[in-house]
Amino acid sequence: MMYFRYILPALVVMSVFLGGWEGYVALTNASPLVLPAPSDVVNGLSVERSEIGRHALATLTVASVGFSLSVIFAFAVSIILHFSGWLRRGLLPLLVASQTVPIVALAPLMVLWFGFGLLPKVLLVILVTFFPMVVSLMSGYASLPRPFRDQLVSMGATRWTVYRRATLPSARGHFFSGLRISATYAIVATIFAEYAGARQGLGIYILSAKNNFRADLVLSAVLVSACLTLALLAVIQVIERATGRRYRRVAHA
Amino acid sequence: MLEVQNLTIRTKAETLVDDLSLDLVKGRLTCLIGPSGCGKSSVVKWLAGVLAPELQVRGHLQLDGEIVDPPHGAIAYQPQQDTLFPWLTISENACLGLEISGMTRRAARARVRDLFPTFGLAGHEDSFPDQLSGGMRQRAAFLRTIVQDACVLLLDEPFSALDAVTRLQMQDWLIDRLAESPRSVLMVTHDLYEATQMADRVLVMAGGPGRITADIPITTPRAERSETTLAEIRSTLKSMLLKETS
Repeated sequence: MMYFRYILPALVVMSVFLGGWEGYVALTNASPLVLPAPSDVVNGLSVERSEIGRHALATLTVASVGFSLSVIFAFAVSIILHFSGWLRRGLLPLLVASQTVPIVALAPLMVLWFGFGLLPKVLLVILVTFFPMVVSLMSGYASLPRPFRDQLVSMGATRWTVYRRATLPSARGHFFSGLRISATYAIVATIFAEYAGARQGLGIYILSAKNNFRADLVLSAVLVSACLTLALLAVIQVIERATGRRYRRVAHA
Repeated sequence: MLEVQNLTIRTKAETLVDDLSLDLVKGRLTCLIGPSGCGKSSVVKWLAGVLAPELQVRGHLQLDGEIVDPPHGAIAYQPQQDTLFPWLTISENACLGLEISGMTRRAARARVRDLFPTFGLAGHEDSFPDQLSGGMRQRAAFLRTIVQDACVLLLDEPFSALDAVTRLQMQDWLIDRLAESPRSVLMVTHDLYEATQMADRVLVMAGGPGRITADIPITTPRAERSETTLAEIRSTLKSMLLKETS
């Protein structure tokens, strides 16, 4: 049932898309320098698998470290903003402004300021991914029905107890939504950071393949980056399911 | 004994409750009735310590002669909604007040567990609220309120979400529970039949601004209360409420 409902439509659409692409390249005799066929991309990936694998691992490391720190940072910021109205009014415009800075402009500056190591890339991943999580958490905190808060306050609960017992659990669904949105940015942000300057990673690999007019290898690396993002989303899904059986009742209540 | 003295609640624009005083006696159930928006819930929320902070409040609360500030451990509050946390089991929900007051989880569980049969919830300790019927959820909410051992209970329209039959069953059931361990109870209701059936005393509130306009004791024993014995008092209350809403 699951197969027919979810997996089959995705497989059919993907097959039609790839088949159309392969057919178009064969019919028009398009140059592989401009538009390689999907079979060329798979072939390139197979030939370069160890090199791409090494770079993908570097990208995954940076993305994982950056994303993990981003989650911690988002939680810390959301708690500060939740408990201090003054800081919320002061910090929120700054946080919104931070999201308007073009990553293209910021990535080279980060490398200039912090060198070619892990730090500039991790900072860039944090900058790109933390905001959706903060916004989701704040929105989740605000979703706590007033009578629930009142009930705890009438029992003598402190603000922290209300947060821990009710506000945070009720924000769980919102948090995971934000986490999924951020996860889709994490790998892309890492590749951008590597593109601006790094010793290894998919960003550097793509740059090098592009400079060598190897569009097939560029697309191979893109395919791997998409797979990494999907893997990250799958991990989040597993964590959400494994830890949240009782919290799914919030949505049904 | 609980005493509210000269309570005034104001917004910037208007006075919601004006110079209201009332007292609650141990073992007595007092019903507060009045038209919508007359300030009944505001009085109860102030007593529970959950009134919106932007409201200006003047007045005193005395518990056994001592002036206290709400929220207070001796006062338990049950809002209109049952407010059972959907992610907690019934047992965990029932323990909340005890744990917040400093009791260990183990001790709270032990204390609550013994009360499940009395509240008609035996076997549902590990159920979640969405697995229970409306009446059972309400009993679980009462369990959470009553187990706190507060000497004053504030009930804000506790039966308003229930169907007519469950409501009647729950009224009798609550009276029985309160008879087992007498407390001072202030219950807000819109339903004058419910008020006259359950209360030892009915306070009638009028709006604009909120104030108490009548204090009517009901001396008829509960076992003898019926349409006939309560006809006069219900008629009086009905005409008072109609006068206030016209």
